[in-house]
Amino acid sequence: MSVIRASGLKKTFRTGFLMRQVEAVRHVDLDVAKGSIYGFIGPNGAGKTTCIKMLTGLIRPTAGEAWINGLPVSDPDSRRGLGFLPEGTFFHEYLTGAEFLDFHARLLNLPASVRRERIPALLERVGIGHAADLRIRRYSKGMRQRVGLAQTLIGDPDVLILDEPMSGLDPLGRRDVRDLILSLRDDGKTVFVTSHILGDAELICDHVAIILGGRIVSEGCLDELLGKEVAGVEVVVEGISEALFEELRTGATRAVSQGSRFLFEYADEAQAEKAVDTVRSADGRLRSLVPRRRSLEELMVADIEREKERAG
Amino acid sequence: MNSLQRIWVLAQNTYREAIRDKLLYNLLLFAALMIVSSIVLAKLHLGYDERIYRDVGLAAIAMFGAMIAIFVGINLVYREISQKTVHAMLAKPVRRWEFILGKYLGLVSLLVIEIGIMSGFFLAVLVYKGSPWEWAMVWAIGFIFLELALITAVAIFFSSFTTPYLAGMFTVALWIIGHLLADVRDFGLQQGSEGIRPLTEALYWSLPNLDRLDIKAAAADGNAIDAARMAGAALYAVCYSGVLLMGGMLLFQRRDFK
Ligand SMILES: Nc1ncnc2c1ncn2[C@@H]1O[C@H](COP(=O)(O)OP(=O)(O)OP(=O)(O)O)[C@@H](O)[C@H]1O
Ligand SMILES: [Mg+2]
Repeated sequence: MSVIRASGLKKTFRTGFLMRQVEAVRHVDLDVAKGSIYGFIGPNGAGKTTCIKMLTGLIRPTAGEAWINGLPVSDPDSRRGLGFLPEGTFFHEYLTGAEFLDFHARLLNLPASVRRERIPALLERVGIGHAADLRIRRYSKGMRQRVGLAQTLIGDPDVLILDEPMSGLDPLGRRDVRDLILSLRDDGKTVFVTSHILGDAELICDHVAIILGGRIVSEGCLDELLGKEVAGVEVVVEGISEALFEELRTGATRAVSQGSRFLFEYADEAQAEKAVDTVRSADGRLRSLVPRRRSLEELMVADIEREKERAG
Repeated sequence: MNSLQRIWVLAQNTYREAIRDKLLYNLLLFAALMIVSSIVLAKLHLGYDERIYRDVGLAAIAMFGAMIAIFVGINLVYREISQKTVHAMLAKPVRRWEFILGKYLGLVSLLVIEIGIMSGFFLAVLVYKGSPWEWAMVWAIGFIFLELALITAVAIFFSSFTTPYLAGMFTVALWIIGHLLADVRDFGLQQGSEGIRPLTEALYWSLPNLDRLDIKAAAADGNAIDAARMAGAALYAVCYSGVLLMGGMLLFQRRDFK
């Protein structure tokens, strides 16, 4: 069953005095399955936030339609089971963390008994229980992001739309958010998350769509997109001569030397094995040998290049 | 029911934001100073004491009330949009008209408090000066409230679709013109020119006629005020505010949050 669906979404902004047209989103179809973590990935300005604003009813599509839980997004009731984390800051700075959550909980008509229980628990869950009674004005960037996440969860939604939930977080914070998103999926919730940081998406998403210039250019299961086959093998060795380095480099797709260490990348395992044998017979030492899958980054870079070619 | 609850929450939060804002206190402080300065002014006009206290006091309440209504009102709506706090709110089953109504009611409850404080000052000065108690003063203050509630509706109306600067300019302009409409109409009637009269008549009947709500002068003079006229004026203020709010809701409904 699809929880979020969009068909032919398009948004054209008119800006400036001359009403110049900006095509922020050209054509986007979405079909987000229940219980999945759906990564919506694209570089800056690709149209991710604009899409999300159309899904959450904040802007009207120029063309196309979208539904959440089967209801058209023009109907406010489509947002009944939705938790939304907008991009960037969006806080009532004069409220404390607890007051902020209470305000949003009451906008969802949650009864007092539920609020009393859920608010402290949520603040703990996102790791800012100690700052419950501190005004948000005094929060650090990471704390803001966390209280924002707590806000999206306050109504115990079954669909979450998170616009860059990891922006502004340190590595520990990113891990916390990743774990949080995974635990939401384990609870059977559907998470639609945008990012331009591919590593994050690769770690958690089941399904990925890559958006470029307002259009989805690749879309599918992560395994499907990246392919299961090995995209290359990285070999790191030590203690070889310059001459041998030059020799090994000829067959490699990439070669880097750093002090006494050398890194080679080969297109397939057979070539890598051969290089390792050569190194061993010359009394060099093998430090590591890692088969590498194609990364989301390469996929995106390839997509970008294809788009450029198409345009140019 | 859910809707009423949300409007109440939105109103409460608006009120809370204003109460935690410095601008409000600065304006209130100024108003208090104005009222106190009326004592000093009165000393220079011996014999006309009472008239001056009443005039200056009521004028201060109306004037600073209007400033608070316009600037705090516009600022509070604008802030929700520019700081994007509105995004998380409207991405809930909250209706946009509920947001507008909640903001309005929050601002009106703020007006009640602030007029209450200023009036407290004002009446204290009157009592201190041994002025006889007159209910006309209370009526005058009540009508100042109606005028400010109408101004707030104007501010919300403009804020619902334009920038805070334009909204501020339009609202201040309407506030001033609203007090001059009778003169504008007289001008049209006296000129008698065919070209100008339809225009002045149109302005007179369409713009908010704040003079109708102004019973300050009559009250300060201690004249009796016609009950039927007051009832008509009150009804006018309520209906006009209602129409403006509905217009604001319609325009806000169409708005894109960028
Ligand atoms: N209100 C607006 N008026 C005009 N152009 C806009 C507006 N909002 C967005 N755009 C343009 O639309 C395009 C897409 O913007 P959008 O914010 O959706 O990108 P994004 O994918 O979210 O980028 P980021 O990763 O930086 O958040 C950009 O080129 C942007 O300049
Ligand atoms: Mg964005």
